[in-house]
Amino acid sequence: MRRLRVSEHVPSILVASLGAAFGVSLLQLAGVMSSVIVADDVTGSSGMVRVMLAAVAIVFIAIAIYVSAIVTANTFATIIAGRTRTIALLRLIGSSAATQRRAVAWEGLQVGVVGAVVGTVTGTVVSLGVVAVGRATDFLPALDYGFAPPVIALPVVAVVLTTWLASWIGSRRVLTVSPIQATGASQEESLEQASGHRARNVVAAVLVVTGLGALVLAVVVGLVSPFGVLIGVVGGLLSFSGFILGAQAVMPRVLRWVGRAFGSSAPARLAAQNAVRYPERSTRTTIGLVIGVTLITMFAVAVESFQGLMRRLQEGQPGGQEQTDQVLVIIVAVFSILTGFSALIAAVGMVNNLSLGVLQRTRELGLLRALGFTARQVRRMILIESASLTVAAVLVGLVLGTFYGWVGAQSLLGSATAGGGVLPPAVPVPLLVAVALAAAVLTLVASVTPSRRATRIAPVAALAVT
Amino acid sequence: MDTTQHALVARVESLGKSYGSAENTVAALRGVSLGIRRGEFTAIMGPSGSGKSTLMHIMAGLDSATSGRVWLADTEITDLADDALTILRRRRVGFVFQAFNLVPTLDVEGNILLPFELDGRRVSAEERAWIDQLVGSLGLDARLRHRPHELSGGQQQRVAIARALATRPDLVFADEPTGNLDSRTGREVLTLLATASREYGQSIAMVTHDPVAASYADRIVFLADGAVVRDLGKSSAEEISSLMLAMERS
Repeated sequence: MRRLRVSEHVPSILVASLGAAFGVSLLQLAGVMSSVIVADDVTGSSGMVRVMLAAVAIVFIAIAIYVSAIVTANTFATIIAGRTRTIALLRLIGSSAATQRRAVAWEGLQVGVVGAVVGTVTGTVVSLGVVAVGRATDFLPALDYGFAPPVIALPVVAVVLTTWLASWIGSRRVLTVSPIQATGASQEESLEQASGHRARNVVAAVLVVTGLGALVLAVVVGLVSPFGVLIGVVGGLLSFSGFILGAQAVMPRVLRWVGRAFGSSAPARLAAQNAVRYPERSTRTTIGLVIGVTLITMFAVAVESFQGLMRRLQEGQPGGQEQTDQVLVIIVAVFSILTGFSALIAAVGMVNNLSLGVLQRTRELGLLRALGFTARQVRRMILIESASLTVAAVLVGLVLGTFYGWVGAQSLLGSATAGGGVLPPAVPVPLLVAVALAAAVLTLVASVTPSRRATRIAPVAALAVT
Repeated sequence: MDTTQHALVARVESLGKSYGSAENTVAALRGVSLGIRRGEFTAIMGPSGSGKSTLMHIMAGLDSATSGRVWLADTEITDLADDALTILRRRRVGFVFQAFNLVPTLDVEGNILLPFELDGRRVSAEERAWIDQLVGSLGLDARLRHRPHELSGGQQQRVAIARALATRPDLVFADEPTGNLDSRTGREVLTLLATASREYGQSIAMVTHDPVAASYADRIVFLADGAVVRDLGKSSAEEISSLMLAMERS
């Protein structure tokens, strides 16, 4: 039993605790919202609103577990990839692959437990804070809100189990590390190429097609019942899982396309190449952000559509509209904060991945400096690489999010529109502005540490690494 | 020896380099003075820890000296700032390292043209002709679109040589260029370097601990414990070996 190397796992613990906080907060605040709406039955339609909220809460639970699982899995896979040398060295001196794998999974379990505890506390504090602010500003009535419904155990246990499982899945690569890799210049791509992708792509395609089928069904059912959204959840999860599984076929293409937009100077060309150099790793780096942006966009588009519909339904009753708008403001605020959490998880993953990538390229950066890359050119190269990843993720996320948001709104509200009509997809402009700003900030933040690290290396020291 | 023909292309004077803190200093170089003659193929020899790599790094503007002065042709580079040194390396120095010479994400042509692209300029017609000639004579015509991982070790070193010669630098530094190659491929690479020096008048400074590699050079400078101990003209591998052994014993 090895002791947990905390410094190496800080990003993992952060991701796990953010995941747990996300789930806990989500459930606590969904409970709060239910209480508010039940207590404040002004529109006389609280029954229907409650059903919708219940449906939405189920969606949130599913997504919370899903996001933390995927991001934790990706973070762990990246850590394992960076450890190839160490693992190979331990194999070389006689440790079996199975032992190594169990050791990694044991670390994963510890990371999961620590992350879940930290996350539960943090999430509860965030919920309490939101409610306190809500009360102070009179958005929320002074009700007795329960902050420890048994259901919050769900994301906590899920984070522990998924982190454990993710470390086990991530450690599959341990089995492919040969002892000889400790002695030579081991390259990660040989590992990445080692796993065949054909079967995986087939599964991905099946999931996407099935999911899209369910989404179409959801829209059709939604025309007569708000429960269409539950079919939509299944369809969304299936198709999005399929997309994530097969993202390796999509993201490198988008990255290549985005990379071309940064011009043809030597730093820009190398940056574009670096961004797609290990397709699997780039996909892993961007997919977290794609998930985050997709979620934010999805909820923003869904809420905007909902708001538009409510306004139209209540055109004749000015009083009721004000009430609904107030509730919607709360919903939008809560949704934005909670989906912002998942984007934050993704951002942590991206910063982590980019840093690791630069660290593993020390020798190459030394070569570039020797051949005449100025420190500024190196910084620009890393900044463009960071920007390529962010822009590609954001673009894909916006497209997917708009689609899912529209399907969600349509399947939930289709039956409420006059004559079973079709809602137009509504993309809020503030969302686009906020996403663009956040992407710019993330690009800069993600490139700061690797840039400093890369330019601080003396070319001689980098060249001495063998 | 005709001194006008053999003007110095690089020179160090009383060069010292030490590492570590004040009370725990390790001297890599102790007052080395040396001139590399233009158009010659010079080998810098010495056992591990003799300071030969440090000397090369300082002469190439990759590292800074603790004391003494350094010139590349007429430019004193002793106190140049990082950016000035970077541009000097880009335009006036070529490198052939032992391994990891090439940028893995660029194809062969991209690697050869990298120094020009770093300068943000197009290759002139005259430079293009020179590069084509190099590519042809190094047998890389069919490889221009290949990535480094698709090439053998010897081919990778050829690409590195093409890149180092492409900008017609004042001086090409080769750091154990055959260290990762089998002996036959190693001899080919050494022949290419010697040919570049003889036919194109390219000045080359090669750091090596291999007597066979050094025997391809026009001049062999021996370093031991951070100081120049011998300076020979062209010699056979046997002569160099026995000299090295004698140095080990003394």
